[in-house]
Amino acid sequence: MAAPCRRMAGRSLLQFLSSFSRTSVSNSGFRQFSSTSVCWGSRQAQHVEERASSPWTLMAAVCLQRLPVISAESNPIEQQFRDMMIQMELEKSMLSDHELRLLDDAERMRRMQAGEYDSDEEEDRRDQDIVLAQDLEDSWEQKLKNFQPAARVSDSEGDPGSLQRRLSDSLLLLVERPVGREKLWMLPQTEWQRGETLRETAERALSSLPAASGFKATFLGNTPCGVYKYKLPRAARTESSLGTKVFFFKAVLSDAGAPPATESPESSLLWVTKSELQRYVKPAYLMKVERFLLGF
Amino acid sequence: MQVSATQQAFVLNQALTTCRATPSIQHPVWASVNERQYKSMPTHGIGRWRHLLPKDPPKKKRDRQQMKEIVVETETTYATLNINVSGYDMTVVEHFSQHIHNLCNRLGIKVLDCYALQTKTTEVWLMQEQGTKMSVDSFLKTHNRVVQLRSLSATVCPIFLEVLLKNQPEGVQLCVQEHTEVDYKARFKGRPELEGLKAKITY
Repeated sequence: MAAPCRRMAGRSLLQFLSSFSRTSVSNSGFRQFSSTSVCWGSRQAQHVEERASSPWTLMAAVCLQRLPVISAESNPIEQQFRDMMIQMELEKSMLSDHELRLLDDAERMRRMQAGEYDSDEEEDRRDQDIVLAQDLEDSWEQKLKNFQPAARVSDSEGDPGSLQRRLSDSLLLLVERPVGREKLWMLPQTEWQRGETLRETAERALSSLPAASGFKATFLGNTPCGVYKYKLPRAARTESSLGTKVFFFKAVLSDAGAPPATESPESSLLWVTKSELQRYVKPAYLMKVERFLLGF
Repeated sequence: MQVSATQQAFVLNQALTTCRATPSIQHPVWASVNERQYKSMPTHGIGRWRHLLPKDPPKKKRDRQQMKEIVVETETTYATLNINVSGYDMTVVEHFSQHIHNLCNRLGIKVLDCYALQTKTTEVWLMQEQGTKMSVDSFLKTHNRVVQLRSLSATVCPIFLEVLLKNQPEGVQLCVQEHTEVDYKARFKGRPELEGLKAKITY
């Protein structure tokens, strides 16, 4: 059901700023999200009627993504084109105020040294004698040299559980759940309960993860983006349960919160890119999930 | 009296014929020399078609800017949404707003309006290391572009927003809000003299 929602997203200004959050846990690595939603839950609860129960159990899963933190690497062709465009724009552009000042100062210096200089002619230049434009430029260059940007590739590149890996790609959250007799990797999901909307179920699925307690996510909409149907094996099928239907909801990570103090072996979270997904997830599930994941 | 009847009919006929002798359609008498002859041609005005079109209402000389109606949200669509793109670099901001507009056209999302808000200038003052004097370091201009969507369908919404977020360039802030009348009024300049006069009247 449609609901008015309000959100803000901001991307960190420079690619360097974002990498600073590698060692310290701070917000600068993520886009700032703020969302308020008018309470629409009450409206929906009134429409719940007694329906004939279908043999399918309904579940809602959340497709939580961490968006890229730094800009993507460019191809050699893109790099060459960018260099060429910068050079062209520089050649075609007009002189800025600072460059004009540089030229004026150089001119004045030259005239002062030539000996025919009459300082009474230029009275409005008095206060600009103190700080020359060249000095300003030198001080700026010095500041730039002192600035050390962080590395694009962090140490935890290969560790699939870390959130700081692959800063230029978007990562997807996977959890391991026991299904039947084996443990499978899947998107976090819980069962739908009567009286709540599917989106609330998805929010519950996210908050019920023990390792993801500090996660703050912004859900992008009230409608699911994909569905996965799973029929139970013949032996397990009964009158009332034929299988499960899982609805996926998209969400974007806004804050990771503090990492858990002790890594317990049961709480296993994975942050994977779309290309790495096939290593962990079953093929039938992968086919349905891949359809709504953008990117590579 | 048959004879009289026929006689009467004959008289009537004669009267009619005498009436008919004078032509009912007057030939245009050349009252003045300036009258042109082609207007009497049978094909005069054969190409006229504008008189067949429905009558348009007369256009008002100066249309005051009226606020476009805010669409009410329904069960499957959102109300009028404003996507606000802001940043320091004007070319990037404008190109991104154009990209959003084109994306909406392609996805079938109706765009009500596409306008720019006022540019805000921020002066950055740096404290000098020696002494307490502050010096002006730079002027930062924040540019704002707004794309107004008419009725965003709830099914398209998560896909659309994800595409926007993934394509968001560096240095550009994205903000999706509902459109209110306050937003519309904020676009207009204040008129301090008018408000002063109004205050004087009421005071």
